[in-house]
Formats: sequence, structure tokens, C-alpha cells
Amino acid sequence: MSSGWVLCIDFGTAFSKAAAAPRASWERFSPASVRPLMLDPAGAGNPFLLDSAVFVEAPHVLFGSAAIARADALAQEKRAALRSFKTLLSAGDLERALETVPPASIDPTRSFVLRDLIVLYLAYLQAAMVRGLAADRMLSQVDSFERRYAAPAWRGGDGARMHGAVAGLFAEAETVCRNIGQRLLDPAGVDLEAAREAVRAARAAPTPIQIGLIFEATAAAAYTAIGLGSAATHLAVLDMGAGTTDITALAGQAAKGYHELPQARVTLKQAGDFIDNIIVNVALAKSRAKTPQAQTALWRMLKSEMRDFKEALFASGHASFRFDGRTLKIALRDLEQDRDFRGFAGTLGEAYQHAMKLLADEARADGATELQSVAVGGGAAAPFIQNLIKRTNKIGKVKVMARPATPDWAHAAEFAGNLAPVFPQLAIAIGGALAPEGMLAARGSIPAASARSETLPARD
Amino acid sequence: MVEALAQAAWAEADAALARALADADVLTRLVKKSGPAVEGALAMLRQSLGQAARKRGLTRLEEAGARAAFDPNRHVLIKISSKQPKDVRIVIPGVVRGETILVKAEATPVSPRRKR
Repeated sequence: MSSGWVLCIDFGTAFSKAAAAPRASWERFSPASVRPLMLDPAGAGNPFLLDSAVFVEAPHVLFGSAAIARADALAQEKRAALRSFKTLLSAGDLERALETVPPASIDPTRSFVLRDLIVLYLAYLQAAMVRGLAADRMLSQVDSFERRYAAPAWRGGDGARMHGAVAGLFAEAETVCRNIGQRLLDPAGVDLEAAREAVRAARAAPTPIQIGLIFEATAAAAYTAIGLGSAATHLAVLDMGAGTTDITALAGQAAKGYHELPQARVTLKQAGDFIDNIIVNVALAKSRAKTPQAQTALWRMLKSEMRDFKEALFASGHASFRFDGRTLKIALRDLEQDRDFRGFAGTLGEAYQHAMKLLADEARADGATELQSVAVGGGAAAPFIQNLIKRTNKIGKVKVMARPATPDWAHAAEFAGNLAPVFPQLAIAIGGALAPEGMLAARGSIPAASARSETLPARD
Repeated sequence: MVEALAQAAWAEADAALARALADADVLTRLVKKSGPAVEGALAMLRQSLGQAARKRGLTRLEEAGARAAFDPNRHVLIKISSKQPKDVRIVIPGVVRGETILVKAEATPVSPRRKR
């Protein structure tokens, strides 16, 4: 089978994901052809998610869930796994940040700089993708893929330079993966010396690759707008992640690409972590944890279970936890009455309305009568986020359509109900694979033609 | 083959999970006045069940207390009635996964609305 397929990697903060879709999906969309990759089929958790983690412990380097398990076992010895690489990739001076020596808690052997560890992780991800592709009946027949990765829009706007640097990491990872191969997936890890030698060789001779960049908001626009036809010319994306809440306004024609309205972009530093802290404070106030030890124990317990706790809180309006022999209940209104939360909700509401007004003006100028709005990221299901995007039905004469976080097509009968529950976590990788080429922010050959790496024009 | 078996096992699990979710509703109604410890334990049970159900893509069919036109494909009467009612009041919501109804909503007949 010839290429004709696109493979998109979502190099996530906590987990990495990958999905493939036919290149012609935009013109002839068939939900059944969307193929998320099983990156961790033998793991205890969701097989489509690969933990983003590297752990160095002589004489091995461990990856993924094995790295997390080992780091947890040695937490008392002040050891830690390297996680949240994506945060590092958004650093102002990326090249300098990559050459930083990690703290001894992460690499007590002093063998690597951060760049090496990220390259090793990307090689592990690459090996997991090779395994995932081979296990998929349809994808195992495909000989090559157009490759992309998804990333947040970089604040400095220098997409080409950042893309060149990040794609360079993928090129080195390709060399490491070719050298070490499927041994990267061994839960016992790879030999530290072999890893050190492999990254050294990869720096000297990275494998030329072609890879494109799609911004996360654009990927969200792609999975939301696909199948909507000409209606989806103007779209607002509200993305509440762990560290930031971003509002992005996109306008254009899906087939040719969207351009962002920079004056509408808002990034708030309050997001999921901020909500978590409010919930913990509410819980501490409700509990009888008086001593510092009891409060620390409660804080630890809630932090470790926060994802599920918030899911229950947002879905049913209340959630309970057991602590010190008692069951304590937190209601959504406890969160909504918090002063800090109210301040955040107010600021977010104003920022969203500002972006929507600018987008509606653009829609009017373009002769459009409708715009779409969608919430994505970990906070998409939060009732206050959903209320915000559903509150406004019309701005002047422009109709506002709030789209569900999980698009209708993810409920298609072909998936037998299996895609929708996991869709939010795979959404960006899927959107990135479905997007037409016009939606890419940058593309280029790395490393041979890294100078040719180009940022695509905002408008066609 | 492995995929097919896993899918079959999940289908069985979905049915059991859906049934347990509805059973937990019944239990909640029965033990509502039995004290905070029982209520707390029940809240935790419901929370875990709800979470497992949502992660498997199960959602509720109808809302408790809502009035609906009787549809034998969606509703089951709590007490056997010789005559099919026109309208029902939902007592225990059902459970659906995608377009498939796994557990019908339990309902009681209500008298037709009087015309004014």
C-alpha cells in the first residue's frame, strides 16, 4: 500500500499519543479510518497512552511506566524521573535550555544533558510507534507516513526556528531508535553506556526526516470542523490545560488553512493546577486534619487522586473522598464560591467574550453568518467552561454554535462506543492526523535542509 | 481473535456495569435514612461506579422524576400493568452506550394531563 497516510504525534506533558488517518480524510472523511496507535499494549493503564518519563539509574535508563514506577519506589531517596518535557520545549532560549545539565535527583550519573534525555525518550516513543503500527492490521500494510507533531503555539511567534530545533530532536531520536531498536521497549531499560553512546552518535549523524508542525488549537479545530463543510470558517478554541488556559480564534477555510487572530489570543496562568489547589484548600477546610502531618497526608492523597476526583466532581456536581475514617463530600458550589475561583472565572469570561467579539467581527467582514466554539484540554468538561461556551448564542447577527468536546463522529457505530470515552485524551493526535496540509504551522526536512524549515504563511 | 475476545468480554462487563449502576440507585433510595456512615459508603460506591461507567462510555437514559411518553424500547414499568400507559414518570434512569440501550429506564404510569 502506498503512503497516502498521515501520522501525528502528540508529545504530551504527562502522556504521548499518536494517531494515523488517510491523507484525503478532509475531502472524504470516514470515521472508521481514524487509527489511534496502541503505544503501550502491555501496560496496566490505557494502552493508547505512553507515559512521558525517563529515569536514569546506573547501569540502566528506564522509560515510560517503568521509569515512573522506579522513581516512585525511590522517592524517599530524593530520586525523580524526568517528566513534562513539553514545558521545556516552550522555553524562550530552547537551544540553551536543552544543553542544561539535569539535577542529580534526575541523573545522578551526570551522563546526560536534557537534550540527550529528550532524544532518548523520543527514540522510545518511536520504537513504541513502530510496534503499534505493526500491530494494526490496516497500518501494518502502509510503507510510509507523512509525519507531524502537535505543539502549543509558541509565544514568540518564531515557529520556524523552534520547529527546526524540535524536529532536530526527532531526527536524532530516529538515529537512536535505529541503533537500539526494540530493546528501548524492554521494561528493564537500556544499558546506560549504550544509551550514552547512541545519543553521541545521533548528534553526529542525525537521520534526515520530513516532519510537520501543527499547533494544538488548529488540531482541535480540525477534529471539530471535519465534516461540517463550509459552516466551519470561524472557530474559537478554549483550551484549559494543567498550567495555562488559552483562547485562540481561528478564521479561514478549512481546506486552505486557518489563520489565527493574534489580537484575540489570551493566555491565563490559572488552569487545571490552580483549580486543583482550590479543591485541596476546600477539602482541608472541611476535614478535621489539624496537625501538619494529617494535612500533608490529606494533601498527598488528594493530589494523587485529583484527576478522578475532578472527573466525578465535574460530571455529577459533587465528589466524595475517604480520609481518617470519614467520608467527606465536596460540591461544585464549594469551588464556585471560592474567592480566587470567582476572580479567575470573571477574568476568563471577559477574555472569552473579547475574543468572541473579535471573531464575530472577522466573520461578518468575511460574509459568514455562523461561528463555532469548542472547549478542549483537561478542563473541557468543567461545567463552568461548558456554560461559558454555551452562554452566547448570537453576537450581533452572527450565530454561535457550541461544539461538543467529543465530536459527534466519535460516537459513530463503527467504533461500537469504544472511541468516545478515550477521545479527549487522543483528540490532538487525531486532529493533527486529520488536518489538511494547509493547516500546518511549519514543515521541513531535518537536518539536511533545516535551513529550509519554513513557517507556513498565515493566509493563502 | 484476541481483539474479538476482549471486545466480547467488555460487552459482558458493560451489561453488568450498567446493571450495577441502576442497582446502586435502588440501594440509594432504600438506605437514604440510615445514617451518615452508610450514606458516605454509598456515595463512594456510586462515585466509583459512575466513574467506571463514564470511562466505558456509558451514559444515563432519562432523568429521575422526568415525565416522558411511554416507549417500550426505552422504558420498563416497575409494576406490571394490563394497559400500556400513555405517559410515565421515570423512577430509575436507564443506561446507554452510544446508541445501544443496555438497561431501560424504570418508570411508573402517570395519569394523562387534564385538558383545560
